[in-house]
Amino acid sequence: MKKRLLAVLTGVALGIGLVLAFTSPPDLLQGDFVRILYIHVPSAWLAFLAFGVTAAASIGWLFSRRMTWDRVAEASAETGVLFTAIALATGMIWGKPVWGTYWDWGDARLATTAMMFFVYLGYLALRRTTTDPRLRARRSSVLGAIAVVQVPLVYFSVKLWRTLHQGLTIRPDGIQMDGAMVSALLVNLAAYTLLYVTLLSYRTALARLEEATAAERIPVRSPVTVPRLGEADA
Amino acid sequence: MTRPSSTQPPSAGSPLVDLVDLSVSLSGTPVLSKCRLSLRPGESLGVAGPNGAGKSTLLAVVATFVTPTGGSGAVLGTPLGSPRIPAVRAEIGWSGHLPALYPDLTLGENLALSARLSGHPASRGQQVLAQVGLAGAAGIRAERCSNGMRRRADLARLLIGSPRLVLLDEPDAGLDQDAAPIIDHLIRRTIRRGGAVLCVSHDAAKLSGWVDRVVEMRDGRTT
Amino acid sequence: MRAGFWRSAGLIALRDLRVELRSGEALTVVFPFAVVASWIAPLATNASPLLLRDLAAPVYWLITLLFGMMIVLRQTALETRAQRRALALTGLDPAARFAGRSGASGLVLAAVAGTLILPVIIFYDYRPPSGATLMAPVIILAAAGLAMLGTLAGDVTIGLRARTSLAPLLMAPLAVPLVMGAAQSLESLVAGKSIITWVLALVIADLGLAAAGVMSARALEEISL
Repeated sequence: MKKRLLAVLTGVALGIGLVLAFTSPPDLLQGDFVRILYIHVPSAWLAFLAFGVTAAASIGWLFSRRMTWDRVAEASAETGVLFTAIALATGMIWGKPVWGTYWDWGDARLATTAMMFFVYLGYLALRRTTTDPRLRARRSSVLGAIAVVQVPLVYFSVKLWRTLHQGLTIRPDGIQMDGAMVSALLVNLAAYTLLYVTLLSYRTALARLEEATAAERIPVRSPVTVPRLGEADA
Repeated sequence: MTRPSSTQPPSAGSPLVDLVDLSVSLSGTPVLSKCRLSLRPGESLGVAGPNGAGKSTLLAVVATFVTPTGGSGAVLGTPLGSPRIPAVRAEIGWSGHLPALYPDLTLGENLALSARLSGHPASRGQQVLAQVGLAGAAGIRAERCSNGMRRRADLARLLIGSPRLVLLDEPDAGLDQDAAPIIDHLIRRTIRRGGAVLCVSHDAAKLSGWVDRVVEMRDGRTT
Repeated sequence: MRAGFWRSAGLIALRDLRVELRSGEALTVVFPFAVVASWIAPLATNASPLLLRDLAAPVYWLITLLFGMMIVLRQTALETRAQRRALALTGLDPAARFAGRSGASGLVLAAVAGTLILPVIIFYDYRPPSGATLMAPVIILAAAGLAMLGTLAGDVTIGLRARTSLAPLLMAPLAVPLVMGAAQSLESLVAGKSIITWVLALVIADLGLAAAGVMSARALEEISL
């Protein structure tokens, strides 16, 4: 079982990542709050990767009409929503003590992440409401492709919006990091990427099973029979 | 139920409709199973069957609205599901059980829209309305028309151009006696011009009055 | 033989405008509703004149966005399955259908958005900045973008029972560049700066949506039949 091995590896990597996150030195400015970033940064990065994969798979479906693409798109979108939720939640928890606010309206990445979160919540709702697998693939692939057009537009419009106003001074990318911190971040990044791949492969396999069950050969049998009007009335 | 097509010589030419072991599932529920059907130029075929047999779905497949999930099929020489399908749509005439009219537009405006979109002058709409006996009703909004009037107007839509393939779903539902010849005219006109007609109804006797050959459909299969 | 792209799009737009003129859903139902909403918002504050004046522009954009979605997704602009099937068999290019429907909705939306300025001036004592007429093209560009986005969202959710709530959910977050472009144009005017950057952003967003609409038209048509 390749998937099981992958899952075990992911568990080990996440464990090491967690240990490093707690043993790395505190930050000069942020103190222990910096440890949140070992979860936040990898989740945010994987959210973008996951939605990128969804968009690519959607476009792949539109061109090839192969259901594998649709299953990958769905699995990646679900995983992406999970990572986005983690990224947004940890970002807010970190932001309150460090930036002094839960929500920084000047951060284009934050705004874009939130937009993706809402769009892909809708994407999953759209999938839930469509029962026919081919129609579902068609609807969601179009949405997946449109969303990817909007992502850079949202990013740049927020960026443009705030460069014309004033921004905050402390940003995660502006932080000077020492070696132990960098390695803790990289290990966590690798661990979370493994987690994404694991979730993706399990979810894709599940989708394949779901479809196989639905497509089980049922003989066509009209549910309509000859009315028997005399029986109950008599 | 099959009436030998003695009135018609065995038609030549490649089939306008050719379905081989075609199956359709909608939302995982199988509706059509291993359907076989072939229609050559000059042929008219009726499909009879009880409610829920899959007649309307069969018609929707031939009309290129529903893509088959199994087997193979071709309409007007183009495989179903191929990217070239949209190009043949303009040669198909279809009337379903609900008239395709805009309730807020008058019958005249409705028919004029269809005419102009398919490249005819708007006056063509008025002409076909007159043909189905609705010349005086062109100014009435579709929502205020009776079911029979809407039905006539919907059939008039098929008279605008001359589709090579005409597909009719219970075409006489709601029509009065005066209007019955419209169906006959539509079918014979199509056959005369080398087209083909596929008509579905629950009433096999009625079908055999319109078309050359009637097949039975039951549980998603043609016999 | 069949009508060309722009002619088809024009015919479809004409159809939608005529239906709107007769049913009046956007102008006699959604518009009054939007006016009520703009009137009720101050009741949730203590209605100090200064606060209201600050609130005017944001409330206006919010109402335009929310009620704009309602207009684009209005019931009377929806086609029945039989109507869509009949249209497809005229040989209509689905991209022309997208263009026509978005065009008609955009026009209605721009008219409603333009008129909504009036209640905002009245209820919020709003004073438009000098050069406010420059906002006309901004509103038209934003309306066109919203109309295209709404037409797309409506088509993606075609035939679904949850459509009335699902389509706005899909549409609202994607409307960010449009809302921002329109709102920031006004802000720039107030600050006495050039609005050209924001107009350009709107144009780019509209072009992106038009491309998405045209390219996905064929795939969406298959859902709708």
